[in-house]
Amino acid sequence: MSADSHHHEQSFWQKYVFSVDHKVIALQYLFTGLFMGAIGGFLVYAFRMQLAFPGSEIPFYGLVNSASYNSLVTNHGTIMIFWFAMPVLIAAFGNFLIPLMIGCDDMVFPRLNRTSYQVFLLSVVVLIASFFVPQGAFGGAWTAYPPLSTTPTYSLTPWGAILWITAVTLELIAFLLGGINFITTLMNSRAKGMKMMDIPIVLWFIVIASVLFMASVGPLVAGAIMMIFDQTLHVGFFDPARGGDPILWQHLFWFFGHPEVYVVLLPAMGIVADVMCVFARKKLFAYKTVLYTAIATGVLSFFVWAHHQFVAGIDPRMANVFTVTTLLISIPVAEALFVYIATLYGGSITFSTPMLFALAFLVEFLIGGVTGIFLGASGADIFLHDTYFVIAHFHYTFVPIAIIATFAGIYYWFPKMFGRMYNEKLGKIHFWGTVLPFNTIFIPLFYLGMAGQHRRIFDFSNFPGLASDGYQTLRIIATVSLVIMILFQIPFVINLFYSIFYGPKAERNPWNANTLEWVAPSPPPHGNFEELPECYRGPYEYSVEGRELDYWPQNEKPV
Amino acid sequence: MGIIEQASSYAAQIDNLILIVGAFVMFWFVLAQGIIFYFLFRYRKKRQPKAEYITGEKHSETKFIHWAHWGVIACDLVIIFFAIKAWYHVKQELPTADTTIKIVGQQWAWEFTHPGPDNILDTEDDIVTIDELHIEVGKVHHYKLSSKDVLHDFSVPVFRLKQDAVPGRVITGWFKPIKTGEFDIQCAEMCGIGHGIMAAKLYINSKEDHAKWLESPNLKYTLYQEPKEEVEQ
Amino acid sequence: MRLHMSMDWRVRLRVPFYLLWLSVVGFCFPQTTFAGSRIKAQYQLCKKCHGLNGEGRYDIKTPAIAGLPAWYVVAQLKKFRNGARGKHPQDINGVRMRPMSRTLNAKDIAGVAEYVSKLKPTKPVSTVKGNIAKGELAYAVCKACHGANAEGNQVLNAPPLGMMNDWYLISQLKNFQRGIRGFDPVLDPTGASMVGMAQTLKTEQAMKDVVNYIFSIR
Repeated sequence: MSADSHHHEQSFWQKYVFSVDHKVIALQYLFTGLFMGAIGGFLVYAFRMQLAFPGSEIPFYGLVNSASYNSLVTNHGTIMIFWFAMPVLIAAFGNFLIPLMIGCDDMVFPRLNRTSYQVFLLSVVVLIASFFVPQGAFGGAWTAYPPLSTTPTYSLTPWGAILWITAVTLELIAFLLGGINFITTLMNSRAKGMKMMDIPIVLWFIVIASVLFMASVGPLVAGAIMMIFDQTLHVGFFDPARGGDPILWQHLFWFFGHPEVYVVLLPAMGIVADVMCVFARKKLFAYKTVLYTAIATGVLSFFVWAHHQFVAGIDPRMANVFTVTTLLISIPVAEALFVYIATLYGGSITFSTPMLFALAFLVEFLIGGVTGIFLGASGADIFLHDTYFVIAHFHYTFVPIAIIATFAGIYYWFPKMFGRMYNEKLGKIHFWGTVLPFNTIFIPLFYLGMAGQHRRIFDFSNFPGLASDGYQTLRIIATVSLVIMILFQIPFVINLFYSIFYGPKAERNPWNANTLEWVAPSPPPHGNFEELPECYRGPYEYSVEGRELDYWPQNEKPV
Repeated sequence: MGIIEQASSYAAQIDNLILIVGAFVMFWFVLAQGIIFYFLFRYRKKRQPKAEYITGEKHSETKFIHWAHWGVIACDLVIIFFAIKAWYHVKQELPTADTTIKIVGQQWAWEFTHPGPDNILDTEDDIVTIDELHIEVGKVHHYKLSSKDVLHDFSVPVFRLKQDAVPGRVITGWFKPIKTGEFDIQCAEMCGIGHGIMAAKLYINSKEDHAKWLESPNLKYTLYQEPKEEVEQ
Repeated sequence: MRLHMSMDWRVRLRVPFYLLWLSVVGFCFPQTTFAGSRIKAQYQLCKKCHGLNGEGRYDIKTPAIAGLPAWYVVAQLKKFRNGARGKHPQDINGVRMRPMSRTLNAKDIAGVAEYVSKLKPTKPVSTVKGNIAKGELAYAVCKACHGANAEGNQVLNAPPLGMMNDWYLISQLKNFQRGIRGFDPVLDPTGASMVGMAQTLKTEQAMKDVVNYIFSIR
C-alpha cells in the first residue's frame, strides 16, 4: 500500500507520529535534529565557560570537573555530527526535497522511511539515557578510541560507554534505511521528462552523500559491534593483551569518519547551489562539472582516512601515501568552490536571508578548506595534530555545513514547509548574530593551536607554557563570542515558531524559482501535487535571453 | 612562526613547512575571497537588475576554472614535496643515538627511564622519574615509547613532536634538543578523566648541568627491588 | 485522486511543540543531575574511582573513603598534590590519584574532605585469612598511635583503620615497607614514620594477621 492510497481519515497518531508522509517524517527529523542541536549547544556552552573561567560554577550548569568536561566534549561532538548535522542535512532535507523536487507523491518505501525515523528516535533516547546512568555519560572523545572506550576500569563510565556506542550504532542503522530510500526514489520516481541532468543539484548531492554513507558505514558498524562485544563480553578485538589491536578501531572508524565529512558537506553544498542560483537569478555555472567534482570528491574521500592517524603509530611510510591523496582531494573541492564563485558572475544578486547564509557558507567554508591543507601535510600535522588548530579547522568546515547552510535551507524552503513566510528582519538579525561571532570564536583558536594548545584539556593551569594571561584572554574572547552566538539563536526560534502560525501566507512560488517543489501548494498536502508535474528543462534556466520572465519553471510547457 | 620557541633540531623545518603552506593558501584564499566580494558588490541587484545567461559549458567560459585548477595542482605538488620531506626527516629517519630514554604513559602520568651515568638502559643506575624528563642539549635522543593501559600521546610542542603511545607496542623515535630550558610535555590523546592534568615537565640542561643531575638526581625515593626468591603480583 | 487539501497543517505542527516542551525538560535535566553544590559536584569526580558510595573498588584498587576523618583526607590530598605521595614510579595506583588531587584548590580540598567525612562509612568485608591472636600481638606496635580499637588519633595524625579495606591496608603496609609510600620525610613525616613501623611485619602473613585483628576490634 503506497502513501497515496490513504484516503480515509487518519487519527492523530497515524498522521503525526506514525506518519509515512515524507514531509511529516522530514519535519520530525528536522525538529528532532534542532532539539539535539540545542542540547549540543548547551554542552559546548558549559565546557567553553569552564575553559574561559576554569573552576567557577557555570550558570545553568554548575561545576565542570575533569570527568564531566570529558563527557561534555564527547557528547557535544557526537551529538553535533550524528544527531544534528546528519538528521537535518540528509534526513530532513532529503526527505522533504527529494519527492517534491522530482515531482512525485512520496518516497518509494514510505514505511521504511517511517522505520528509519523510529530507529533514529530510539537512538536519541538511548543517547540521552546515557547521561543518567550511574557514573555518568561516556567521556572517551567522539572517536572513542579503545582500550579507553572498551575497558570500564580505564574509562570509568561502564554504562555510559555501552549506551553511547549502542546509540551510535542505532543511528547508523537509521540512516542506512533512509539512504536506500533516497537512492531508489531519485532513480525511479522522477517526473515524466526529467533526465539525469535535469535533477536539481541538491538532490544529486544528497543522493551521492547517501551512496558515500552506505559504502563507508559497513566497516564502522562492524567495528561498533566489535566494540560492544569488547565492552560486554570482553572479547578483546581491540585489546593488545588478548591479541587484539587498538589501532584497528581507528582504521574502521576513520574509514567511515572521513567520507562522513563529505556526507554532510555535499547536501550543504547542494542547498547553497540552489539558493545561490535563485537569488542571483543565474544558471548554475557548469552543472556537469559540479556533479563530477562531487563524484570525484566522494571517490577520493575513501582513500584519505589515515590522515587522521599520522601520529597514531601507523607505519610512517603509509603517511606519505595519505598525504598525497589528502592533498589531491583539494582539487575537486577547490574546483567546486570556483564554480560556485563563477555562478555569481553576471548575476543579479538579492541579499535575502537565505542568500546571505548561502554566501556566508562560501566565504567561511573557504577558511575551513584552506586550513585543511596544513593538516593534510604530514610534516606539519606532527605539530598541529590534536591541537586547537584542528578544532578551529573542522569547525570552520562543520559550522558552515551544519549551521550556516542548514539555515540557508530552512529559510529558503520555509514557505514550502509551513505555508507561511518568515520575518525577514529577524532573519537578518539572526544571520549577522550567527556569522560574526562564529569568526571571533574560532580565529583565536587557530592562534592557540599554533601555540601548541591541545584539545580535550579541561584546565590549562597545569601547563605553564599555556597558562599565560594572553592566552587566557583569547579563550575568554572565544567563549564570550560563543555565548553571543547562542543568544542570537533566540531570534531564529522566535521567528520559526511565530511565523509557522502567524506569518503572512506564502504563495506557491514566492522566490520565482524553477524547481518542481514550487509547483505544489504551500504547504503541500499528503500526495504533494494536484496533478503530477511533467518536466521539460533543467532546473537552473534563469534569465534566459529572449524571455520576459527571468525564470522558466521546469514544468512549463514549451510553446 | 615565533609563537612558541623552537627547541628541537627539526622544529624550524616544520615551522617553515607551515609557512610555505601558509603562503600558498593565503594566495588562493585572498584571491577567492577578493573575487567573491567583488562579485557581490558588482553584481548586486541595484547595479545589475537583469542577470546574464551563462551556462559555463563553453570553453571560453570554463578556461578560468581550468587555470585555477592547474594552479591548485601545482601548489599541491610543492606542498606534498615539502610535507613529505619534513615527515621523512622526523618520522622515518633515525639518526644514530647519543642516548636512549624509555617513556611509558599510564593513566595519568608519564614515567621516564633515563639511562643514568652509564648511558645504558635497563641497568642498576637507571634513573626513573614520574612527570620529569631531564635531557642534555645538543645530543640525539632516541625514545622508546609505550603505554601501560590506554592510548596516550607524547607531545612536546616546543619540539613540534607528537607520537601516540600504544599499549602492546614500543615505538621508537628521535629528537635533538637545541635549546636549554624548562618546557611542557602534554598528553595529546584522550586517556580518561585525568587527561587534562597529564602534564609533565621537560628539563633541557647544558652538558655540565646534566652531568650534575646525573650525579645527584635529587630523588627522594629509591626503587624497590623484588627479592629473587619471593614472587608476588 | 490523492487530494488532501483540507488537511490542517496547524494540527500537524503540534509535534514541534511537543519537541519544544521536551527540549525545556532536556535543559533542566543536566542541571538536576550534574549541578548541586560545588562540593557535591567535585565529589562526582571521586565517585568515578572510589565507588558510588565511596566504598572503594578492588578492581582498580581504590580504597574506601566514606567516613574517613576530614583532617586525614585533607592531609592525604595535600600529600598527593605536593608529590609526597603518588610520585613513586612503582606506586601505580597512587600515580593515578595524583592528577585527581590537582583538580582541587585548597578550599575545595577542605570542602571535599568535610563532605567525605560525613558520608556513611561502609564496613568493608574481610577478604584475607589470618590468625587473629598473632595479629593482636603484632598490633601492640600500632596501638600507641592508632588506638586500642583502631579508632585513630588526630593528635598523632594516625587515621582510623577499621573502615579501610583489608587488601588496601596490606598494600599500603607493603608500600611503606618498600619505601614506595612515605619516602619523603620532609613533606610526609607521618608517612616516613610508618616506614619504620611497617618493617616490624616481616611477612605477608603477618600483615594478614594484623588486618584480621583490626577487623575484629573495629
